[in-house]
Amino acid sequence: MIRRVVVLALLVGGALLLEPLRAPTEGVIAPRSLFLFGILLLTADTFGAVAHDLRLPRLLGYLVAGLALGPSLSRIVPAGVLEDLSMMKRLAVGLIGLLAGAELRLADLKARHRTILYILLLQGSAVLLSLWGFTLLSRQWMPFLGGLSAGPLVFVALLFAATLTVNSPMVTLALLTETKARGPLAKTTLGVVLVADVAVILLFTAAFSLAQASLGGATAGAGVILWRLLREVLGSILAGALVGGVLSLYLRFVKRELVVFAVVVVFATAAAAQALGFELLLSLLVAGFLVENVAPVRAEPLVETLHQTAVPVFVIFFAMAGAELHVQEFAAVWPLVLAVALVRIAAIFFGARAGARLGGAEPAVARDAWMGLVSQAGVALGLATIVADRLPVVGLAMQTLTVGVIAFNESVGSILFRRGLDRAGEIVVR
Amino acid sequence: MQTTLAALAVVAVGYILAYLLFDRLRARYGYVGGAEYVLIGCILGPRVTGLLGAGQVQDLTPIVSLALGWLGMELGTYFRIPTLALLPPVHLQIAFAEAVSTFGVAFGAMLAIFHFLAGHPWPDAAAQAVTLAAVATLCSPAAVDAFVDRAKTRDRILPVLRLTARIDALVAVIAFGLVLAVYHQGEVAPEVRPPTATEWAVINVAVGVASGILFHLFLGPVSHLDEVEGNSRLFVALAGAIVVASGASYYLNLSPIYTNLVLGFILANSGAAHRDVTRMLHATERPVYLALLLFAGAAWSPGTAELLFVAPAFVLVRLAARWVGGRVAGEYVAPPALRTGGFARGLLSQGGLAVAIALNYSQVRPDLNPRLILTATLLSVLLFEMVANGEAAAFLAMLSGKTDRPTGELESPEPAS
Repeated sequence: MIRRVVVLALLVGGALLLEPLRAPTEGVIAPRSLFLFGILLLTADTFGAVAHDLRLPRLLGYLVAGLALGPSLSRIVPAGVLEDLSMMKRLAVGLIGLLAGAELRLADLKARHRTILYILLLQGSAVLLSLWGFTLLSRQWMPFLGGLSAGPLVFVALLFAATLTVNSPMVTLALLTETKARGPLAKTTLGVVLVADVAVILLFTAAFSLAQASLGGATAGAGVILWRLLREVLGSILAGALVGGVLSLYLRFVKRELVVFAVVVVFATAAAAQALGFELLLSLLVAGFLVENVAPVRAEPLVETLHQTAVPVFVIFFAMAGAELHVQEFAAVWPLVLAVALVRIAAIFFGARAGARLGGAEPAVARDAWMGLVSQAGVALGLATIVADRLPVVGLAMQTLTVGVIAFNESVGSILFRRGLDRAGEIVVR
Repeated sequence: MQTTLAALAVVAVGYILAYLLFDRLRARYGYVGGAEYVLIGCILGPRVTGLLGAGQVQDLTPIVSLALGWLGMELGTYFRIPTLALLPPVHLQIAFAEAVSTFGVAFGAMLAIFHFLAGHPWPDAAAQAVTLAAVATLCSPAAVDAFVDRAKTRDRILPVLRLTARIDALVAVIAFGLVLAVYHQGEVAPEVRPPTATEWAVINVAVGVASGILFHLFLGPVSHLDEVEGNSRLFVALAGAIVVASGASYYLNLSPIYTNLVLGFILANSGAAHRDVTRMLHATERPVYLALLLFAGAAWSPGTAELLFVAPAFVLVRLAARWVGGRVAGEYVAPPALRTGGFARGLLSQGGLAVAIALNYSQVRPDLNPRLILTATLLSVLLFEMVANGEAAAFLAMLSGKTDRPTGELESPEPAS
């Protein structure tokens, strides 16, 4: 490992040596972005191996590598480079969405629908209510609630709680891919996380619209709110159905060069999602689900191909996610970050345990299901960014705290989930 | 919304129909190319549906540079010194004679076209002529391997053909790498003296050598992980290595293909991981090639003059150069036991490296006819892919028909790992 770190240091030194050999130029992709992307990949792989040796999830290593090289700490990979490479991240999100959807088997969902629904309902409600209550009770310390009157206070607090109700399909899938866990805990967690992804978008949109209206922003009537909400979700589902149909046709008639085709499908869907305002992850999740469960074709070749590409995709996603974390911003509010994160974990613990028991889950699931539901990553970060962009009055301050909590959950959550899978005896590859 | 979704659907259905059409061609004529990928790239690109806008096509640069480097590195791994040392010297003579004479003829013809017909000054004409001569000289080692492996005859010329395909690619990539270094574009920081042409050439090699040594150390001993897991990890490390080396070249306006050729050569000749590296690169060659075709399709915007004149002229030049190269190698340089007419018929397939060179040229020299180079290359690749398999089969049939030629076990091992 020391050898690898020395090589990485030499590469960074080499980069400094080469720097004067080109005058800075403007371009869509800055030439040095590519070089730094390579260094980010290699560092993430190395840190992932260190994390694995320490019996921690690899993705934690990827995150730390991104954080270490990113604009927050060493600034070897500046923010402009991350912007240049945003297409790579969209590709990663899309491929993960496709894989996640294909991993969601209808038979498993049917077999565990009671457990999944009860956990989803109880832990979701517990997190939402406890965070809402906690935020209101500790409002004098919450930077984004200062000076708000009663109405906006309630709804902005609700929006904050709704943003933190989200789980992380990325972390869940990354860990299941790494450990190859396929037992009841793995299946239940995956089911809860993926179904919650759809439910939380509805919840978030409602909370966002209420907060926006209460703050006197672009107020919209209930009908408009509902239409916007339906358009985003239904648009994503419709697009997912279309992409699923295309994938099914391809699997039926062509069935070759699946990697290339999957990448093209993701790029095309990402472009369409950007143009039409639907959610890339949700639409590809639906597409993967339909191909696996509804289409009259064998989806195994596609799933196998997606599994083969999973590791590089996770390295790219988590390394870039780590690099995008601005730690110094939430260093000032760390006591609050810790308090919110602990309240959330406690709510998940009680909510998920109660839900699993009521849903008749296996003992291991009832005991450890909460461990898989702590993680947060890309979706939550995306929602925090939406709030910051569209409600700048409260959103920017809220984003600092939210991102801090997400960073905490992303790292602690992955460790907890791995521990849970280990305790349940479901880890196949250590 | 409906328009974009309809465009997506049209693209998908159009692609599947195109695929089925080309599948017929494949079944009937042994066509192995990837015109359907160029087609879908074109449809997705800014000129047709615009699903991938010009900016988004540019955003794909990391993937393209990775693909360029990937193919360069794969070529480098073919040249393992312990294996090359076992080859009879005459095989190398034949291979080099074929490559150099093909390159020479193509270069001469293209230089004349660019300088005397198109009126470009010598340096510009030379840069374009070397690039197209490199594209003309290229022959896909993977395609040659595929048809040699399928051959029922075990003629002694077949290993020479394999070697020639590799040397062709080597000569092409080195020539292209050198021309980008010698006619270097781009400014250096004000406080630094601009390097001379020779210095750029040395810097280009040095980046490859330094990358090779560093990644030899980085990869270290063979992984203890299971096969699938080990492959994934190796893929990430290799992708990182290639992106770093390609990124350094791209940053300096040099050729990532050339840099990664050196990197691949060093990795293939050092350390315990060379077998895994080579296997991984070979296994992923086709998706990388197809990704390049897709990107080339999206970036392609041919003008009429190029389509009508230059591209067909280039196809004819390549045909003539290959014929001359084949004659020189197969009938003059080869000893009597290996003398073969129609040697060039086995070397028509161009493959991904040709597209890679054209795309690399477009990235580094956007000021000097990039559309023309890309159009000529794509047309040539697609046309030759169409006839290459049939010609190779005819060549094999001709070999099988010969009775006065000693056959038997291959005399030399394959130059691949």
